[in-house]
Parts: sequence; C-alpha cells; structure tokens
Amino acid sequence: MIKLLGKLILFFFVSLVSVQAQYQLSSQFDYANTLFKTGNYFDAITEYKRLIFFDSTKTFFYRSSFQIGKCYKAGAKFDEAIKYFSISELNASDDFERFDSKIEIVRCNILRGTTSRAHQLLNEMELTYSGNDSKDSINYWRGWAYMFEDDWTSAAASFAKINPNHELKLICNRVEKDKVSVTFATVISYILPGAGQIYTGNFLSGLLSLGWNVLSAYLTINAFNAERIFDGIAILTLIWQRFYRGNIQNAAEFAESKNIDIANSALINLQKQFRGAKP
Amino acid sequence: MNRIFYYSNKLILLLIMPMFITYGDILCQDSLKELDLFSYKSRLKFGNHLYLEKDYLRASYEFREYLKYEDNDTIRFKFANCFYNIGRYLEAADNFKSIFYNSTIQDESRLAYYKSLFFSGDFNLFRNSSRNEIYLPEKYLSEVNRLYFTSFLMDNSVLPDTANFISAFPDSNKNDIRNFYIQKKFPQYKSPTTAALLSSVIPGLGKIYVGNITDGLTSFLVTGVLTFLAIDNFNHKHSFRGWLFTGLGAFFYAGNIYGSAAAAQIFNAGVKFNFDNNVKLYFEKRNYFLPENNL
Amino acid sequence: MIKSIIFCLLLVPTLSKAQTDWVKWDAVEVSYKISNASSKNIITQKQNTGSGIISFLRNIYGFFISELDGDNCPFYPSCSHFFVQAISESGMIKGPLMFADRFIRDLNFFKGKNSYPIHRIGKFYDPVSNYTLNEQMIEIALSGNGGD
Repeated sequence: MIKLLGKLILFFFVSLVSVQAQYQLSSQFDYANTLFKTGNYFDAITEYKRLIFFDSTKTFFYRSSFQIGKCYKAGAKFDEAIKYFSISELNASDDFERFDSKIEIVRCNILRGTTSRAHQLLNEMELTYSGNDSKDSINYWRGWAYMFEDDWTSAAASFAKINPNHELKLICNRVEKDKVSVTFATVISYILPGAGQIYTGNFLSGLLSLGWNVLSAYLTINAFNAERIFDGIAILTLIWQRFYRGNIQNAAEFAESKNIDIANSALINLQKQFRGAKP
Repeated sequence: MNRIFYYSNKLILLLIMPMFITYGDILCQDSLKELDLFSYKSRLKFGNHLYLEKDYLRASYEFREYLKYEDNDTIRFKFANCFYNIGRYLEAADNFKSIFYNSTIQDESRLAYYKSLFFSGDFNLFRNSSRNEIYLPEKYLSEVNRLYFTSFLMDNSVLPDTANFISAFPDSNKNDIRNFYIQKKFPQYKSPTTAALLSSVIPGLGKIYVGNITDGLTSFLVTGVLTFLAIDNFNHKHSFRGWLFTGLGAFFYAGNIYGSAAAAQIFNAGVKFNFDNNVKLYFEKRNYFLPENNL
Repeated sequence: MIKSIIFCLLLVPTLSKAQTDWVKWDAVEVSYKISNASSKNIITQKQNTGSGIISFLRNIYGFFISELDGDNCPFYPSCSHFFVQAISESGMIKGPLMFADRFIRDLNFFKGKNSYPIHRIGKFYDPVSNYTLNEQMIEIALSGNGGD
C-alpha cells in the first residue's frame, strides 16, 4: 500500500516536471521556428542547438537537427547541411522521417553540384524503399540531378517514369530539341569553313571565317601555281591552316556555349517560375 | 475488508491530490528555474558545450550573457579565447586584459594577450608592448621572448643581434633558427640592375643569370637573327627592310633588358614567398614554441 | 617549393571547414546556372579594358582575326590582351617593352619548363602586374589559384 502510494507520488511528481519541461522545450522549438521563418538562419541554428542540448529525452532531436540542416542549406553551406541531415537521419524514429532526411541530403548534393553523389544515394534508396510514393519521389529528384548535369534526355526519362506527361518532362524535351549538335557543327565546318558558325547562328563570324579561308586558299594555290613554293608553304602553314583550325574550334565552341545558354535559360526559368518542389 | 482498503486508498489520494498540485507547482517552479534555457547557468552550460564543439562565435554570445550575472576568470578567459580562435585577435587581446590582476590564471592570460598581439600581424604593436609594458607574465617570460624574436623573421624590421636571437630558442632547434636568420639577413636575391646590365651587354644574358635559361637563349637568337637580317639587307641595299629589321631588333633588345630586370624581381618575390612560407610552416608545426593551454 | 605550395593548398580546406560559423552569415540564393568553363568567356570579360586608339585597333584585330583563328596563345592573358593592358596601365614607353619581353617569352619553345603557374583555364598565368617593375604588385600565384 505505502509502496504503491510512494510510486504514485513519484510518478505524479515526475510527470508534472516533465510536462513542464516538455512545454519549455516545445516553446523553445516554436521560438527557433519563428527565427527560421523570418530568415534569421544563423540565430535559428543557435536556438535549435540550445534545444538539442537541453532536450534530455531527445524528443526534438530529429526535428531540430533537420531544421539546422535546412538553415545551413538556406545559407548555401551544403557540407554542414548534409552533416546535420545525416544526424537527423540517424535519429529518425520511422522510415518516413529517414526518407525525408535522405531526400534532403540528395537535394543538397544537387545544389552543391555533386550530382554523382546524389545519384549514388538515390540508387541506394531505390533498393530500400519500394512504395509508389517513394519511387516517384526518387525519380523526381533523379530528374533534377540530371538537369543539373545538363543531361536532359535522362532527365526527361526520369520524369516520364512518374507521369508520361509530367510538366518537367515536357520542359526537358523542349530543351533537348532546342539544343544544337556539336558534332554536326564541327563536321560541316571541316567541309565548308564557316558553316558551323552559321549553323549556330553566328552569321557574321561564319562569313568572315569563310572569307579568310577562301582568301588564304586562293593565295596558297596562286603561289604554288606561280611556283613560289616557299611563299605557298608559308601562307599555307601560317595563315590558311590557322584560320581553318580556328574555324573548326570556333564552331565547336559556339555550339557548346549555345547549348549551355539554352540549358541555363531553362534552369533559370525553372528557378524563377516553377512552382513545384525545387532542390 | 478489501473494499474498505480500496476506498481508503482512494480517499487518501483524493486528499493528497490538491496538496500535490500546490506543492507540485512550487517544486516545478524550482525545477523550472533549472530548466530555464536562458538562465545564466544554462547559458554557461550551453556556452561550454558550444566551446567544445569549436562553435566559438555562438559560445562567445552565451559567455557574454553569463558574465553579466556572474564573474568567473576561467569563463572570461574562454570568452577572450573565442575571439582568439576566430581570428579577431585585437578583440581577444582587449578581453584578456581584464584578467591581468588578482587571478590564478593571470600569467596564462598575459601570455594569451601577447599571443593575440603577435598573431594580429601588427608586429610593431606586439614588440612595443612586449618590451615596454608591465604586463609580462612571470611564468612565461621565455615564451614571450621567443615570440619577440620570431616576429623579426616575419616582417621587414632590422634584425637584432645574432647571439641573443638564437639563444632564445631551444638547443635542438638552434641550427634551423640560425639558417633562417642567415637567409633573412642575406637573402639569395638576384639584382635587377645586374640582370639589366648583363642583358644590355649580351642580349639574354640577364635572363640566364636569373635562371630563365631558355628565355635568354631565345632572346639572344631573336635579336641575333634580326641583326643579321638588318645587316644583310643593308648590304644588299634594301634600306627600307634594313631599317625595319633594325627597328625590330632594337625593340626586342630593349624589351629584353626590361624583361631581365622584371624577371629578377619575380625571382626575388619567389624567394621571399618561399622563405616566408617555410618560416610559417616551421613555427606552426612547433606551435611557435608555446605551451598548449588546457583551459 | 612545390612541396610547400601543395602543403598550403592542403591546409586551406581543412581550415575553412571549421570556420563556417565563425562569422555571422545570411541566406544565400544559389543560382541554378551551369558554369561555362570555356576560356573564351573569361577573356571576353576583359575585352573593354584599354583606351583610345590602341583599344580600337585591338578591337579591330580581335574582331577580324583573333576571334577567328582559334586559340593560339598559351598564356593568360593572351599576348594581345597583355599588350593592350600593359599600355593602358604603364603607358606608351613601358607598355611596348613589356610586350616585347612577353613576345620573346612566347617564342621560347621550352616555356613550359619555366615556373609559370597554371591558371584554372589551363594556361600559363602571366599577368601584366608582374612586369611593372613594382615589387609590391608581383603576385606569386599558387597553382590553379591565379587571376580573378
């Protein structure tokens, strides 16, 4: 009887204290969240860290470290962000939480430009999580990773796995269609100097290139015809060869930079206009 | 019987309940103080935790709040040390000053003060205060003295006397220090004037003197060929071409003289860069002959 | 020398990692843009330096010749950029002398043996500021760290 009473008293006391403590901690979590929402990321991290430090029951461990990761991500400090998302992953209480942490790590890797690591993580996740929702999510972020790698065909294929008419898939297809072929630009420049530049839209440069090549070819042939062998060789090696090589280099360079411009304008559009989840 | 027992049990509980609630509140308020995340004690605990995590800026915020309520020399030291670790050396030095007297760690603070001044990079300030002021820590006189001499290897002041300089360091390192001293006093520089003069006598010789042998040979060949062409054309009465090649030759001849001087300067800058780097690495590796502080 | 430089480079990332929170920082928006590493883009940024007739001539040269004959100069900045920059920074007497010196160094077949640092676009980094005869302006650039 007395034992029971003693237990009751103890239980009552402890629960009262812990309820108060829980209240304290959750109001601290709210405080930190307010800082986070107002964009005060540095101070928000301080408060989340304080919460983690005093949270002896580890109730807020997952949520706080997850939020710290988000703060660092907002400050573009991806190494730290990944560190804290990994901590939150280790302290997750169920598979959903673990999945969220992993996805955040993938998103940080995409933004950081380490897309190969993102792919590696997504592949590992694909083996562990078999639900339809998680499959879609994995394919979605894989698509984003491909877009950041400038591989729009694979990106389109990934988005198509979610939905054949996925909004992002259509965008990827359009980018792929708009791009010019570097090989084609190079090959036609070998055949007709200047053609590669004209193909990529640099008409003036193409025509000038053609002009130089025609002129130096004329001078070379003229010199050989007049049996001025030394002059011929000099013009051939010093002028014609230089402009011919330059024309091919230019064609490839223009094509590449045009492709990058196309990709970049698509990415910038996505960053500014796209309403769905972004890394 | 059992039932009575049961009811009495309940009755007691009912009686005790309100008591618990009132007392419980009081107890809780006490424990609340313990739990208050922003009390000065909590700040101290959290600050120490951040300090161990090397999150020094945040730790300094917590220590500052704590020090408003309670004075503690160790925490003052840690507070100053936060700035030292972040690299805000002058702020650190100012804060170390507050623990210079009547403290068990006053010597450590004084040493830390000198360290802060040293690493701030303002060696004149450091040297003045390490010679003139009354802050010198009795326990660490030789450490400050070593820092004093080390500072001379790191800027362009006039070096002090050799014997004093070398005797400040431990025996096992004296040879290295002597080498540094000699290199600092007599750096292996190449004179830009000599390089320019050599190049004006024989084109390219200045570059060879500096160590850019192939550059020197190339400019010798270029000026040589241009001179030959000039002479050849004058001989064949092609005066326009003659003057053209003369002009070009003179242009490259002059350019080479200029370039030899510039190359000597670049060489010297490289020597200086290497020396500074080696000194820095050598002393960093040995923690500037300072004791590790465990505070 | 090379050893010490490598050591320095190794030290830098370990130090910078611990320093993330040692200075208060704010939110940063990361651009989704893919970086364009081709050398041309970096050089064209500097095209408008220079003044007056020299710059005009160089633009003509750039438009009609240098843009079309490919990538020939192993240095960064390229010889023609070096010329314009040297004249605009050091005047009509020193500038051409600096260019003459650079030209000879470019003719040197074995310039790779000289200790030019490699710029991140894969060229020998050889800035004008090293040749002004002003010791303060010489930059001993670490490999891959040179330039802007």
